Amino acid sequence: MSTLVKPRTLFIGLTLLCVLAIWLSLALGPVSLPLLDTLRAALRLMGVPIEASGLEQAELILGQIRLPRTLLGLAVGGVLALSGVAMQGLFRNPLADPGLVGVSSGAALGAAFAIVGGSFLGGLPEVFGPYLLSLCAFLGGLGVTALVYRLGRRNGQTHVATMLLAGIALTALASSAVGLFTYLADDATLRTLTFWNLGSLNGASYSRLWPLLLVSAGVALWLPRRAKALNALLLGESEASHLGVDVERLKRELVFCTALGVGAAVAAAGMIGFVGLVVPHLVRFLAGPDHRVLLPASVLAGASLLLLADLVARLALAPAELPIGIVTALIGAPFFLYLLLRGRA
Amino acid sequence: MRLSASAIALVVGLMLNHAAHASQLPQRWVSAGGALSEWVAALGGESKLVGVDTTSQHPASLKALPSIGYQRQLSAEGILSLRPQVLVGTEEMGPPPVLAQIRSAGVQVEMFSARPDLPTLKGNLQHLGALLGSEAKASELFTGYEQALDQQKRWVATAQATNKAPGVLMLLGNAGGKPLIAGKDTAADWVLQQAGGRNLATHSGYKPFSVESLAGLSPEVLVFADRALTGEAARAGLFKENPILASTPAAKHARVFELDPTLLVGGLGPRLPQSLVQLSADFYPSQAKPAR
Repeated sequence: MSTLVKPRTLFIGLTLLCVLAIWLSLALGPVSLPLLDTLRAALRLMGVPIEASGLEQAELILGQIRLPRTLLGLAVGGVLALSGVAMQGLFRNPLADPGLVGVSSGAALGAAFAIVGGSFLGGLPEVFGPYLLSLCAFLGGLGVTALVYRLGRRNGQTHVATMLLAGIALTALASSAVGLFTYLADDATLRTLTFWNLGSLNGASYSRLWPLLLVSAGVALWLPRRAKALNALLLGESEASHLGVDVERLKRELVFCTALGVGAAVAAAGMIGFVGLVVPHLVRFLAGPDHRVLLPASVLAGASLLLLADLVARLALAPAELPIGIVTALIGAPFFLYLLLRGRA
Repeated sequence: MRLSASAIALVVGLMLNHAAHASQLPQRWVSAGGALSEWVAALGGESKLVGVDTTSQHPASLKALPSIGYQRQLSAEGILSLRPQVLVGTEEMGPPPVLAQIRSAGVQVEMFSARPDLPTLKGNLQHLGALLGSEAKASELFTGYEQALDQQKRWVATAQATNKAPGVLMLLGNAGGKPLIAGKDTAADWVLQQAGGRNLATHSGYKPFSVESLAGLSPEVLVFADRALTGEAARAGLFKENPILASTPAAKHARVFELDPTLLVGGLGPRLPQSLVQLSADFYPSQAKPAR
């Protein structure tokens, strides 16, 4: 099968793009740092002993603000794109996105509960307070996905179509519960909720970063090992099992990885739409549907594109900041339409 | 930008001559809170402001400053790019990790309470006065504010001795669309009480209301605060979008009044006493106008 780009070229290109995106994300921001200072501060952060005088500000901005933010962007973008591939493979439908199994709406429900309920509870212990939102979002996403998966199972078999419909029903249920929390919220919490739904990499800190890095590294290492099984699944479930794939186990793994990865990403950065839907499409359009290429390439592409989108988010309105979900949807939606219309012609 | 920087340099220079300790005070301010920005300006610190948030709309000259976005969604690097020495805001300012980043960059972060009561305002003004080096002006402003509210209270008490307190509903809308009704525990409720009105809404917070129950409460006075329209246009919009309101006693007796919605954000602001005088005069039309 001929593809637009050879896998080798694709990987070289995406790696270069990713390195470029990382560099831009570290070098650019509302505070303009001289290029040389950025370089020297970066070297110092890597442990190279360089004279520190005059570098304090550069080092602080690079080490405490831009680096955690860049790492967050890489992890979130990569894991969202990867989950997108997993879901499109599982449902054998290119329109699938991670929201389909209820992980996003569950996370939104958890977040709404934390934001609105947290202000009711008021006196939360200081240590726990900042993590309540992330924890609730993560557990909400995991919980609803588990329920969707459970509803899709009958006689020891997972019916993908039933799961899809259960996902739609539970998403509707979850959003009505979010609506209830919205009704109960006061003005300030309402705005927090709205902003959370648009996602942001703002305020990334190492303490909140490492759980996500761990989860996304795990998912990014695990899923590509299942590339061949996913390729077999493209032919159909019974065909795949005839080829020796344990289809039930594969489905379980895909749903679990998605719930874990997207749950952690959403918990750390809020809802960021379109990455999980568009990035796999883009890669498939360039390099074909082979999951051995699609999975790792989507990680690179998702990470790079999210970093670039974040760059727009933080520079467009500086010193204020745009929620990144606005940027990804603004770029993602027209691009998705272009891909659709192009395919039809 | 360059002009304001040189203006600041000039001010700094002048202050250095006046008092040695003035140079220790922060000279570059970022304010994240509508009422706080107003107070900073009232205390003569407007020239020190280098950035404000989206709720800082008064005085109008603040709109020309760089906007740091919404107070609960601040960006650390964005604020640092303004090279401030101090960031002031209410306890709603956030998110907390961003504030920690700003602090670690050596910027003083000062939190103020937005609770609408006088002791809080007194503390806030003293704090701001100390930061601006204008303590005397701060206590003068507070005394004036306290007196204005006292006078207001007395006037309302006299008015209520001979008049029944009118039943009021406060509607917050956007271009006349479905309004939210201000209930208990809101800044709007506090304003209505200070102006001598009786808030008919018994729920807490700002909630949408069914038009039926709204008409059933038969308010004698309607106060509307519209975020998009002002004056006659807002009034017309309100009745056009919600025709049932026209059947209320308030509408029949043309007792529908306007309030600037920015007064309800971020605690007690300097423009509030003035608006209360106006509002209470509207509530008790037969009573002699309070002295200004």
